[in-house]
Amino acid sequence: MDLSRLDRRIIFLIIAVVVIVPMLFDITPEVQITKDTQQIFDAIDSLNAGDYIMVSFDFEAASFPEMRPLASVILNHAFEKDLKIVGLALFSEGTAIGYTLLEQIARNYNKTYGLDYVYLGFRPQYVSAILGMGESVIKVFPEDYLKQPLEIYTDFLGLDNYEDLPLLVSIADGSLPIHWADYANARYGQEVAVACAAVMVTAFKPYFESGQLIGPAAGVKGAAEYEKLLGYEGAAHRRLFTQSVVHLAIILLVIAANISAYVWRKK
Amino acid sequence: MKTRLPIAICFIFGIFTLLQYFSKHPTLTAMYAEILDWMQIIFVFTLLVGVITIFKIHSGKISRKESNWPYSILTVLGIVVMAGLGFGYGTDYGSPFLWIFQNIQVPMQSTMFALLAFFVASAAYRGFRFRNKEAAVLLITAIIVMLGRVPLGHQISDLIPQTAEWIIDNPSTAAKRGILIGIGLGSITTALRVILGIERSYLGGRS
Repeated sequence: MDLSRLDRRIIFLIIAVVVIVPMLFDITPEVQITKDTQQIFDAIDSLNAGDYIMVSFDFEAASFPEMRPLASVILNHAFEKDLKIVGLALFSEGTAIGYTLLEQIARNYNKTYGLDYVYLGFRPQYVSAILGMGESVIKVFPEDYLKQPLEIYTDFLGLDNYEDLPLLVSIADGSLPIHWADYANARYGQEVAVACAAVMVTAFKPYFESGQLIGPAAGVKGAAEYEKLLGYEGAAHRRLFTQSVVHLAIILLVIAANISAYVWRKK
Repeated sequence: MKTRLPIAICFIFGIFTLLQYFSKHPTLTAMYAEILDWMQIIFVFTLLVGVITIFKIHSGKISRKESNWPYSILTVLGIVVMAGLGFGYGTDYGSPFLWIFQNIQVPMQSTMFALLAFFVASAAYRGFRFRNKEAAVLLITAIIVMLGRVPLGHQISDLIPQTAEWIIDNPSTAAKRGILIGIGLGSITTALRVILGIERSYLGGRS
């Protein structure tokens, strides 16, 4: 049997099995902290209680399962540090997701909306929104997600523009961190940290190397590393075992296909 | 007039935006903030153009009963229902609009995205073949990076994640940086051509 010509449905079935079966076991592999995840952790950890941190939910519904653990660790860390979180979304789909996550995690820390965090909601045309906040946040977002004028949140009146913001975190599944780097960092010198989908790491690498972006915590592995730095094993840790098994299965399939193709060529 | 006016507007705003970058004068900053507002307003109109185009394309498909036309009915229905609910009950927390988004759209899109794993596995199975030296480099690199990005790689040997990191940090980033510099230079050239009125394809004609 020439394995290199295996029906794709069999491959799909194998992948389904190696995804589902490891989920039945409660195995959490040992995680090593990479320098990238350590960087974004240190950036948030170095902030003082009461400092503003802007968290932009720059992802869409499709990647929510991958982005949720990342968003959770960032928000957990920020609330633990008693930072004042300003949430927003530059993709319309991320708006409700971001608010829901923020509300859920804030509840765990007994944080109050308007005092400890606010959610600005969504603005279309992200380039002008990013540039606009460099001049005035309140001009871009006169009202928050709950349709309340931003002026009523007196604890957040100190945030006029990027000059009052020590750190911004973009939690992204696409290329938005590049726009944060191009417009918020290059133009206004804003520090931008990134938590992103694993597949985007190589696209952002030059920006991390040049210091225009901080991080990244990438994908489920990045979230698991962050969980370890925070001292707990959460959703990301549980998914890592499945991810390891799937990667191994794909590698074994590729090797088997190559050996089979070689043997058949010899025949 | 039909071409001169847009070119003149483009030139004035292009030059203004370029020059104000180097100035912190309050008047220029205020004008710049105003322009950014306009950008958002204009963008909203482009959304409208998108919605009208979708309606035109799908209503045409439905009336001509082209292949897969029932899906077009679903698409149009989806837009009408969501827009109706959004305008009727708002899009706030707890609204029907948001309920549908969180309980239908998010799981459906996540499911579609998750299917990628199956297609990636199938593509890797067929694509990564030891056919020649170049393909061998690609195959070995892929295996090292795949192993290095999960804890399993570290459990086999510390060398695997270290090598994976080196591959991503050096050859991969070098190539990416080259592409980015190329894109940057291309963007500057195109921007200058547009501002100076040399590139006019955005007006609907030939450049």
